[in-house]
This record gives sequence, structure tokens and C-alpha cells, in this order.
Amino acid sequence: MYDFQTVQTRRQWLARCGGGAGLLGLATLLQDEGLLAAERGAALNPLAPKQSHFPAKAKRVIWIFVNGGPSQVDTWDYKPGLDKWAGKSLKEFDGTFENTTGFFQHQVGKLMPSPFKFTPRGECGKMVSEIFPKLGEHVDKMAFIHSGYTESNNHSPALFMMNTGMARMGFPGVGSWVTYGLGSENLDLPGFVVMSDPLGRGLPKGSAANWGAAFLPGVYQGTHLRPQGAPIDNLSRPGALSDMGQRAQLDLLKQLNQQHYAQRQAEGELAARIESFELAYRMQTTAPEAIDISQESEQISKLYGIDEKQCGHFAKQCLVARRMIERGVRFVQIYSGGMENQRSWDGHIDIEGNHRQFAGETDQPIAALLTDLAQRGLLDETLVIWCGEFGRLPIAQTGEKPGRDHNPHCFSAWMAGGGVQGGVSYGESDEVGYKAAIDKVHVNDLHATILHLLGLDHEKLTYKYNGRRFRLTDVAGEVLHPILA
Amino acid sequence: MLLRLAGHLSLAIAFLSCVFPLLAEENTPPKISPKHATEMKAGLDLFRSSVGQTLASSCLKCHGGESVKADFDLSTRDKLLASGYVEQGDAANSYLMALLRHDEEPHMPLRAEKLSDEKIAAIAQWIDLGAPYDKPLVDAAKPTAADQDKASDFWSLQPLATIAPSAVTSDWVKSPIDRFVWKKLNEQGITPNPTADRRTLIRRAYFDLLGLPPTPEEVAAFVADQDPEAYGQLIDRLLDSPHYGERWARHWMDVARFAESFGYEQDTDRPHAYHYRDFLIQALNDDLPYDQFVAWQLAGDEIAPQNPLAQMATGFLGAGAFPTQLTEAEFEQARYDELDDVVATTGTAFLGLTIGCARCHDHKFDPITSADYYRMASTFTTTTRSLAELDVPTDAAAKPVTVQVNTEGGKKIPHLADSRGFPHFYTTTHFLTRGDVAQKGEVAEFGFPAVLRDGHPRDYWKAQEVPSESALSYRRTALANWMTDTEAGAGGLLARVIVNRLWHHHFGRGIVATPSDFGVQGDPPSHPALLEWLAVDLIHNGWRLKRMHKQIMTSQTYMQSAAANGEQLAADPQNVLLWRHAPRRLEAEGVRDAMLSVSGQLDRTMFGPGTLDEGMNRRSVYFFIKRSRLIPTMMLFDWPEHLVSIGSRSETTTAPQALSMMNSPHTRSYAESFAAASPSGSVEARITAAYQKAVQRDPTEQELKTAAAFVAAQAERDGSGGEQGALVDLCQALFGLNEFIYID
Repeated sequence: MYDFQTVQTRRQWLARCGGGAGLLGLATLLQDEGLLAAERGAALNPLAPKQSHFPAKAKRVIWIFVNGGPSQVDTWDYKPGLDKWAGKSLKEFDGTFENTTGFFQHQVGKLMPSPFKFTPRGECGKMVSEIFPKLGEHVDKMAFIHSGYTESNNHSPALFMMNTGMARMGFPGVGSWVTYGLGSENLDLPGFVVMSDPLGRGLPKGSAANWGAAFLPGVYQGTHLRPQGAPIDNLSRPGALSDMGQRAQLDLLKQLNQQHYAQRQAEGELAARIESFELAYRMQTTAPEAIDISQESEQISKLYGIDEKQCGHFAKQCLVARRMIERGVRFVQIYSGGMENQRSWDGHIDIEGNHRQFAGETDQPIAALLTDLAQRGLLDETLVIWCGEFGRLPIAQTGEKPGRDHNPHCFSAWMAGGGVQGGVSYGESDEVGYKAAIDKVHVNDLHATILHLLGLDHEKLTYKYNGRRFRLTDVAGEVLHPILA
Repeated sequence: MLLRLAGHLSLAIAFLSCVFPLLAEENTPPKISPKHATEMKAGLDLFRSSVGQTLASSCLKCHGGESVKADFDLSTRDKLLASGYVEQGDAANSYLMALLRHDEEPHMPLRAEKLSDEKIAAIAQWIDLGAPYDKPLVDAAKPTAADQDKASDFWSLQPLATIAPSAVTSDWVKSPIDRFVWKKLNEQGITPNPTADRRTLIRRAYFDLLGLPPTPEEVAAFVADQDPEAYGQLIDRLLDSPHYGERWARHWMDVARFAESFGYEQDTDRPHAYHYRDFLIQALNDDLPYDQFVAWQLAGDEIAPQNPLAQMATGFLGAGAFPTQLTEAEFEQARYDELDDVVATTGTAFLGLTIGCARCHDHKFDPITSADYYRMASTFTTTTRSLAELDVPTDAAAKPVTVQVNTEGGKKIPHLADSRGFPHFYTTTHFLTRGDVAQKGEVAEFGFPAVLRDGHPRDYWKAQEVPSESALSYRRTALANWMTDTEAGAGGLLARVIVNRLWHHHFGRGIVATPSDFGVQGDPPSHPALLEWLAVDLIHNGWRLKRMHKQIMTSQTYMQSAAANGEQLAADPQNVLLWRHAPRRLEAEGVRDAMLSVSGQLDRTMFGPGTLDEGMNRRSVYFFIKRSRLIPTMMLFDWPEHLVSIGSRSETTTAPQALSMMNSPHTRSYAESFAAASPSGSVEARITAAYQKAVQRDPTEQELKTAAAFVAAQAERDGSGGEQGALVDLCQALFGLNEFIYID
């Protein structure tokens, strides 16, 4: 038989140098060394946990995707300058404004101060909009970015940009890249989980392409927990089979497959597939358990607001996210809101009503998530991100109740937990919050920083496809060192 | 950089950094020494006087010069530092030093003498000084004239060479293909396998050509057939089967990033796009010569406007995603993105050239310039997705039906932004700087990459007979002429790429292991002479793919068994030299179609509109491919996302796949039908029949015993179903056999 000893030694050596040489170097070396394909398959189970490029605090991510484009000047970017400019045209403030930024070119209104009151919160005294009474308590955990900008003023390209670093369809998202880079810590659950609006308001624009694996192997795609009905496909046994019956069926299958494998010891994939049935059998228990929030205490339910009418649905998703993270899931993304207009943070009509509503749906649950992660000692290892696909214009979109139109030139975001400083703000927008002005942060920079916090070098995390080594940050990206703890 | 910090917080950070000094240090950027400038200068001197030369002469060839092994590229300082092998300013912790000092394997330089102690010391000192370069060792961004000459010497861009197979004497050799393969195996002292048994051969041939298993009767007849020509006749029969086109059209649909919806916001359906899929099936079944198959996809509307199949073929050009919601500011960029999709897909699909890489700058590795890119894009300037009424030969009804084609001056497909003046196309295509429509240059005239036109001007390939008045520009015809011209155009490369795609699907790995990249970044061919020979053979025999399938499948190389012994594995673990026919896992379609077929549920209706309903019983090639609602079970088994051209699907083994075999209502219903069709008789007879259907062989004595014991116990356990219920469970387990989806 084939001498597996050499493989073993090589693998040990690789394990030792894996961090330094980088994962891809490792794969290339394996290929150069001409290792048996089957062995490579087994050694590099695509979801098995992998070494990061360098040590890092953050191990997992929860990304609250503030879908539709939250208005920076009505949430976290306090702009007293808007009072001064109120009623004036944006063109007067910034001669470059050409009315083509937004979507509704016939409803261009004047500069409009936020309808919300801002008050200083936390030890750091961060000015926070009144729509976040509970999140305001956590500002000392958050690093704010006020100078974000992106490349599209349209939902789906901007969503693709924020998720995949490219404004076009067909590229892997951050969650896929991270799972590809780090694997998962729990093989009984998907490595990358996505939750979308459970109130029937639809999927984010561009739907599944926002969490697809694109050219990465399919195993890295996000698993979308269906908001209605069974959350994951094929988790329950056929009705005719009892648990014992299925176990016996799988035992039979295992026995037959092992007899087949015994004649083909060189084919590692066969062994991996035998094992996959055992994993699948376990998943039938572990996956429903992971999403079963009925096991949580009353105190926890109350904290998240599970029974609250306005925020109950989002509270459940935040709680599921915490349970996933606790069980080693690598990346969880929760979309707040569904499609466009009043179905998400896309406040074209009545910015006040829209943002009050969506803040009301999420304020308590996200605050509870931060509290809960912290009290379990998980916040240090978990990176929590609050970010949408773009910001909104500081001018009114005219109508019965004033709204705000899309703005790719400026958005605000925050990160908390794993490896970021709390109570700090990075970058500034201009006086009225129209454009990022100081220390501008491109989406590539944001992505580079997220990867860095997880111990991944964004220039080294690459995948070769059709002749090119692709990366999440394309050919750019600077890590935002000042917000790192 | 501006960082606003609250007073309390800096204290907190000071405290934290005492507790976690290590973490804090690892998270900060590299410290800059106060002596930085002096050190860098000393380092530069060292680089100029010795280190630069050492690296260039001992390391560069494999690490940034001619290739980049192990992701270690030292051609520029940025790449060196990004590689992770060198810690700036810290030789002691630089992995490179361990390799050079032979403290770690692989000892470097590989298979060469160890560097002298002085040289090693100089490199270490240079790293300690910050590893500065005075200039890159290779200027990748701007190849010198010498480089460009060298690049066009690149193997895949050469005219085809006529190479005779070497004269070898061996009983193993059956065909010219085997002569090439045997020669390499013999050089390495590897003994290839004998011919596989007949049951293995027929199974392999069925799945390869039809994507379906043979029936037990077909297997029995073939096994019993004493005629020495029986195997060749079997291949002919399978190539004549209409299922052949369904199987191989699916491979091409991956390459063509074919889907039936726009993607993006609304992901609007393209209800008339399926005719492209039907063209593929029909064209492959008709054995349309491959050069014509290609030409029609690029310009069927110009070349054979009276032929509905040729019109249907143009669906290739418009199969990519396109935004359904556009603001005025995005109109033009969206059109350039669309042209990019067409150019990139055309380049990779037909020529294995990653032309798309040259959108923003000259190709970093291949001799394709940004100007080449925009000239090719210009070919498609005025071509748009359109609707035509055609008498489609693949539809049951002979009356004209609406077909999505791509042409010039056709009936446009409505777009949501039409009311705001979306023009669908612009009359000219410009050279752009970094792909940005805000940075337009001159108008780009259509044309072909300089490295593949043997010095001829563009008009060398212009369309011959052009009607005097036509909305068509015949630019695409010129493109097709150039692409299929084996003398002066890209035809040689076209032939190499397609024979390699066939090889890839027959062996699981191409002679070039990167079937869509024949450039510098792709893998070099494992058997370059064989690849040349196959390409020439294809062209000499009228570009007939069916003949090429048979040529490949009747070689001993293809017919050998899948067995592997320790010696063979040790000598060539990845079977690059083809000492066996490596087992292959069925793709998503193969897994599902095999279950449908074995359970007797397969509906063999061909052609026509697809469906999103997973409960349908037609072959999987007839799923409607909607970009936002890709068929879940297909996705589990590595279906592509149908957004970009895919030459080689990834192959993963995951628990959700197993869950679908265990619990999916569809799998279960196939198992129920499978069991229901089981003949009456003893349990042993029924199990034997099930084995024959599922894996086309009798169960071994041990398998029969195990299975019979299971049926008896299961009937007791899940009482209500009795023996029939237990048989369903058994049939479902047979679907889960590795043997069911791994084909030897």
C-alpha cells in the first residue's frame, strides 16, 4: 500500500509553517510536492478550521446589515452645521453637486437638519440620535467610521460592493472569503449563515448573489435561514423513518461504503463522504438546537425583546446569531429590512417615520446582543458590525413628508468587540454630511480592516480563478490601524 | 490621520496594553526604527553590491521571474514583503532564512547548491536593514521589448505543430494517443493499468457521454458480446443517442455562463433564452463542426441568417447578467460592463485567454494589451440582446416562436429604464483608462490581439459577401473568421482549447489542468505533444467532436482500470501521467438524473422551456436557471452560480449533500418509485435486482447478506411499511453508495 508516513510528516511540517507561509503558499506547495489528490482533499477539508495569517482577537463576525442605506446625519454623524445651512441648496454648499447623485432627480429639496435630537452618550460623550436610546448605552464599545464612501448610488450594485468589494454580480462576499480563509469551528453547522427579513418585506436587492460563493467552492456560500417554514433544507427525516430506523439505514450504508472503500484506500474522498453522512446525522440535532431560542431564559428573552411587538422579529434573529456564534459559526449576517422604500431603511419618503420605525425594530435587540455577548465573554472574540450599503443625502427629497435620497459619497458605520477600540470615531464628513472629507474610508479599506481584525492579510487572502488571483479588496485596501485596540 | 479619543479611554487603553502587551504589539503596524533612513541606505548599498545579484541569479527564476512557486515572489519589494516569507527588519524571524540555512525543508535554492555562508549572511543583514530594493528585479507592469518577444514565444500562442506519435512497441498501446502517454510513463518507469472490465467500461462510457447509467440489460448484453468491435460500436451508439447532446450541452452552458434571468435587482426572467440551450443540444447531436459551432455563437445572425439554429446560437453573447434598475449616471458604465462580460467570456470560453484581465491595464502576464481588449470590445459595440420570431426546429410546434438572439438593429428587449432614455448601446466604444467611463480616450476600432494575427491587418478576416444594405456591421463575422483561422488567426488555440475541454471531462483533468486559462498563469500542458496532435487531428478531420470523443475513448489510456498500487501512487500521486483512469464523482445533474433513471421516473422529453420546480422529472439540464433562485439541490452539489464562465466546477463533499440524500422529499420519492418497481420474489432476488439497477452489478455474497438482514430487521423496526417499506429504505441507501456517484 501507499506509504502514508510521508504525507503525515509533510502535513506536520505544513502545520508548523502554515501561519508564516500563508495558506495559499501551503496549497501551492502541496501541489508542487505532488501530493495525492485524495490525501489533499482529506487534509484540507474545505471547512476545517485553518490558521489565520497572524494572531488576532476576533474569531467570528456578526454583521448587522442596515439594508436600504441608513442616513448618516440622522443616526451617528451629528451635524450641527446642517442647522446653519438649513434651507439652502446643496449646490451652494458644494459646487460639485450635479443632482445626479441621487435617484429622484425631480424631487431635489434643500439641505435639511435631522428631525431627531442628538445627545451625548456614554463615557466618551458620543452624540447619538434619539432613535437609538438603548444602543446609545454601548457607544463606549463602538468604533465609529464617519468617512465611508462607495461607488454606486443604486441598491444592488452598492449591496454587491459592500458585500463583495465589486459593484458587479459574481464575486464572493466577505462571509465567504472569511470562511474560506479560516474555515469553521463547528463542522456540524454551516460556517456562514445569513438571516433576512422575516416580516415578508423581501430579500435585499440582488438577493442570494449577496452571499453567494461566486468562483470560490460552493461550500463557502452563505446558508440562508429561511425566514418562514423550515429554516434549513432537509433537516427532518422522512416521515416513514423513525430515528432508530434512520440510524439503522445509515449504519447499513456505512457498512456497504466501507467495504467499497476497503478496496480503494487511495481515494480519500470516499472516506470523507462516509464521514459526511455521520456529520449530517448529527446536524439533524445540532442545527435545530442552535436556532431553538425557546431554550433561553426569560431574562434573556426580555433583554432582547422577544415578546415586543415592534422588535420581536429582529430580537429572535439577534438571539439566534448569538447562539450560532457561541457554537463556533464563523460569520453571521442579519439584514434589517427587506427591499426598497418603506420596506427597509431606504427612507425616500418620510425619513423621520422610516428611521424611527427601523431603529425601533433593531435598537433593543442589537443593544441586547452587545450586552449578552459581553456578559458571556464572547464580545472580545466577536466582531459586531453595523453598516449598510450607502448613506443618504443631507438634503430633503421633496414630497408630502420629506425623505432623503441615496448618497454613495458618505456613510457611517460602527464596529464593536473583537480587536476594535471602543468609544472612538474615525474620519469626518464635511460640514453637512454630504461627502466623506477627512480620512476617507473606501469599502476596500473597510474590508481590509475586517479581515485584519480576524488575522487575515487582505493582500494574501487570494483565490486563483480564470488566470487571476482575486481578492476581496481587488487591488486596493488600507487597514484602519487607528481603530484597532 | 485623525482620531478622536475621549480622555477616559486613553487610560483604559494604557491599562489594556499593560495586561496584553503581546496582543497590542501584534496588532500595531511594524515599528519604524529611528535609524530608519540610515538603515535603508545601508541596505540599499548591500542590495546593489551583492544581494540583488544573488537573488536574481539563484532565486528569481522560480520566484517571480519565469514563474512564481509556492506563492513566493521576490521580483519587487512589495511582493517580497507581502509573501510572508520575510519579516522586514527581522532576519531571525524570517522564514526565508530558515530555508536558505537549510534549517527547514524544502532547502533553498531547490535542487541546487546551498548558498555560501557569506551570501546568506549578506541576505540576513539586508533583511535586518529593512530589505530595500533600488529597483524591482522584474518590472512586471511594463514588460520590456525583450519580454514581449519572449511572451509571444509562449507555447499556446504558437501555430500548431504537426507532431508524429513516437514509435513505441508495447502491447499496452492501442492508438496514437497511447503512444504519447506510454512514452512519458515509460520514461518515469511507471506501469499503467490493464483494460478495465466490461461492466466498468460501459458504466464509464454511459456517464461520460450521456450522464445516465446503463440498464442492467444493456450491461449484460455488452458483457456477453464477444465481438472485438463491441466497445467501438457501443461508443458509436452512445454518440448517436439524443442524450449525448443534453449531457455535453450542460458542460458548455457552464462555460457560457448561461442563465435565463437578468440578475441584479429584480432578476427579471428571460423567458425566450432557453433556445440557446436547445441550440447547444441540437448542434452537438448533429455533430456540427466545432468551428461552425463557434462562429454561429459569435455571428450566426450574420453568417446564416436563414437558419434558425444559427440565430439561436447567438444567445451566447447575451447570456450574462445585466442590471434591471439603472440611474442615468450608470447607463454608460453598465454598457461597458456588459461589453466586458462578452469579451471576457468570449476570451475564456473559446480561447482560454483571460482577455478580461486587460480592461484596466495591459495584461500582467499574457501578451494582451489594454488596446487589444478595447478593440475586441468594439466588435460588439452595436450588438444587443434582441427578440426574433423564428421557426425553431427544436420546438414541437412549427409555427414561429419568440427567440432571444443577439444582433444589430433587432427588436430590443424592454428595460425598466427605457422611459428615462436608456439607450441600450452607444454607437462607439472608447479606450478607457482603468475601465472608467469618466476617463475616455480615442474611439477604439474593432480588431484582434496582435499576438494572434501573424502580422495581418484586421481586414484580412473581413466578411466576404456582405449585402449592400444591412443593419449588420459584419464585425462579428470577421471575429469568427479570425477565431477559426488555423493558419494566421486564433484557430490553433481554438482547437487546443476545445480538445482539452473534452479531455478534461473524460479524465477529470485536462492536459492543461486549467481548461479556461491557456496563459502564463495557467498550468503548462502535461503532454504538450499529445495536445498538439489532438488539435491537429480535430482540424484535419473537419472539427468533428464526436469523432474526437471516440478517438479518446477507444484509447487504452481511457480504457484502463481505476486501480492504484503503491508504486504508481508514489511515482505520480496525482496521476498526471495517466497510469490509470482515476475515479470521478458525478456532477449535480449526474447525481439527480441517475436517481431519476434508476427509479424509472425519468421523463425523457427534450427541449422547450425549463422549470424551477424541483419535483419535475425531466433531466436536470431542463431546470430554468434563474440567477436569484438557483435550484437548491443542484447548488448543494456544486452547481455554478451562472454568473461567470466556469471551465472546471469545484467538487466538494459536505454534510448538507448527505442530508439531501437522507431527507430530501425528492430523494425519498425516487427511492419509493425504485422500490415499487422492484420485481416480486424473494428478498434476495429483489435486493439483487436493486443492485443491478443502481450500480449495474450483482451484490457480493456479503452485501446480499448484510442487505437482507437489514430489510428483515427494518421491517420489524418501522413496522407499518413491512418488507416494502424496508425496501424503500434500502433503495434510498443504495443512492447513498459511494459507488453510485463515484464512477471508476
